Amino acid sequence: MQPSTLPGVRGERLDTSSGAKALRRGRTLAGLLFSAPAILGLLIFTLYPMLASLYYSFTRYSVMKPPVWVGATNYAHLAHDELFWKSLANTAYYAVIAVPLGIVVALGLALLLNMKVRGQALYRTFFFVPSIVPLVASSVLWIWLFNPQNGAINALLRPIFASLGLGEPPGWFADPVWSKPAIILWSLWGVGGSMVIFLAALQDVPQELHEAAEVDGARAWHRVRHITLPFISPQILFVLIMGMIGAFQFFTPAYVMTQGTGGPVDSTLFYSLYLFNVAFADFKMGYACALAWILFLLILAFTALIFRTSARFVYYAGEAR
Amino acid sequence: MVRVWHVWGGTMAEGFTKLCDAFAKEHPEIELRPVFASNDLATNQKFFTAVAAKRPPEVVFVDGPQVAPWAEWGALEPLTDRCEQAGINADDYFAPCWRQNTYKGDVWALTFCADPNFGFVWSKKAFREAGLDPEKPPVTIEDLDRCARALTHREGNELTQIGLIPWSQYGAANSIFTWGWAFGGDFFDYQADRITADDPRVVKALEWMVSYAKEYDVTKVASLERGFGSAEQNPFITGKVAMMCLHIGGIADLARYAPDLDYGVTFIPAPPDGEQRSSWVGGWCVSIPKGAENQDAAWEFMRWLCASDEGTALVGEATGLFPGYRASPYLKSVQGKKHYGKFLRILEECRHQRPVMPVQARYMRELSRAVDAAVYGKLSPQAALKRATEATQRELDIITAGSSGTRPAASGQVE
Repeated sequence: MQPSTLPGVRGERLDTSSGAKALRRGRTLAGLLFSAPAILGLLIFTLYPMLASLYYSFTRYSVMKPPVWVGATNYAHLAHDELFWKSLANTAYYAVIAVPLGIVVALGLALLLNMKVRGQALYRTFFFVPSIVPLVASSVLWIWLFNPQNGAINALLRPIFASLGLGEPPGWFADPVWSKPAIILWSLWGVGGSMVIFLAALQDVPQELHEAAEVDGARAWHRVRHITLPFISPQILFVLIMGMIGAFQFFTPAYVMTQGTGGPVDSTLFYSLYLFNVAFADFKMGYACALAWILFLLILAFTALIFRTSARFVYYAGEAR
Repeated sequence: MVRVWHVWGGTMAEGFTKLCDAFAKEHPEIELRPVFASNDLATNQKFFTAVAAKRPPEVVFVDGPQVAPWAEWGALEPLTDRCEQAGINADDYFAPCWRQNTYKGDVWALTFCADPNFGFVWSKKAFREAGLDPEKPPVTIEDLDRCARALTHREGNELTQIGLIPWSQYGAANSIFTWGWAFGGDFFDYQADRITADDPRVVKALEWMVSYAKEYDVTKVASLERGFGSAEQNPFITGKVAMMCLHIGGIADLARYAPDLDYGVTFIPAPPDGEQRSSWVGGWCVSIPKGAENQDAAWEFMRWLCASDEGTALVGEATGLFPGYRASPYLKSVQGKKHYGKFLRILEECRHQRPVMPVQARYMRELSRAVDAAVYGKLSPQAALKRATEATQRELDIITAGSSGTRPAASGQVE
């Protein structure tokens, strides 16, 4: 559609006659009609389930029988639910370590892959490929890599540990202390997505600034710190927020690697995994909805917090400072 | 049309198809449509959605301990009247099977197969190599500990073969049920509607399990376990485990993947003051989902499958599992059969079923967590089982309070 055909655009004087009004109404209607599939989809498949889950969070509901209103009981129970706190702590542990670590690794890779070397495209492909492997397939693969007796990782570590006198390498999923670090290591394998975002952002860093800084005697680290990082800070913010949301909703590998138990000793019972068990093993839909809403509020709060504080470290080109 | 959501994949699927064909020949007026729906979290979501949408299948397979919760949730039709009319009663089934299918005064399911859990198996080859008498399996826990020690091998710091992993008998929850009952404990007080996982004898059983975790180092055992596989990689076949509990379906697997494996089957060992020849019943049941369409035809199929000489005999032959129907000719036919005969003895003496109550899944998870926490030394056995008791009791109380207060008397009750 050409913008010029819209009334009121390009400084046309708005005609208030009834004919023009009818035309405008017709166009509004047509516009609404064309966007109706999207609007209806949003209303039916997003807004309605959200509101319904809010309602169910105040009920006891097993799907097959009508829900029973219980007021805020579900939310009150949360406070005394040991597994709620445990799963929240596990999730926080994961988010606090895996997300920043993921950014550092992705950024490091992007900087390295941005260097003009032979086979650059090949290297970029290599590092991106893991992130297109389906989550379940990659989880199953890593179960074997992490196998304490026969896995490739411990086969590599064993001689190193022996020469350093550290004894046996970690038991990974056989040991509650090492199961979360194992999952964090796994998560680093999939940084390809963020890496590509950083790689694209690096192309937009003005080359002349680098050259000017170099002439002024700035070292590589200083150029990264004072030129590259500020210029790609909006992308870092984006990856940070998406990563944090993803970390709060972390589910698939924990479910696959522990067959849904969250073991050993609840060490990989992440929030979403607990929510899933409550909903689909116990059929306590009301309680599960309450858990989901708490998760939603937590994500909302953290996203808002990051946005609020982002002004300090994010630089938008053209922004007055 | 009778749609049957069954759980038989792989080689078992062929057997189940045979059963359906045999039924169809006799009942040409009933069109059977078997659909594979493995009873896991994902397919159960489908099932419950189908019930909620009032479009369920006509017949569904239910795992024994699921019968009570599914009945409580309103997913099943009561079968009490139909059983009475057909003259089917408690005496027709092994006692724990019938108890498992009865909840709040109604019958909700018929037993398809009664699994005697478990047969205790020992590798005669491993016994010989360790200098133990291969014809003398352990009877007491003391014997068992002695054998387990002799049957455990290490290479450097790592375990290469272990005698027994007490907490790994088909999951931690099933393990504590097995040993808890063998030690003379119990898990539920039906009179008071109380969870009793902290029964002193169950605590004793868990203390004994923890003694293995200490003696053999739980992370070393877990590392060994991470290398276990299924089929021909079964640790009992590869010799990584010398003694274990075996499900009846395991006999056929062992015969298929290791036809020359020399092993024996006996009762679960127990302490002298525990319960001798202890076992509990597992296995699949069939039910009619709430609101199913052709309930009469569905019942006809169920009755043939679970309560007729002909049907139950075919169930045994086609699946290698024991029907719960005591008069089944199949049971007579296996009395002298190697290994199966022993499992039949175990079934005949079987006293327990997992607690018949509405928060079964939660109870299993809490028991599993308790075992996990205790063997990893995070909690004492007493504290771990106390936590499981309290957490499950809380859930149970919510359900009992809810169902007495808000449920109309007529729902699910037969006058």
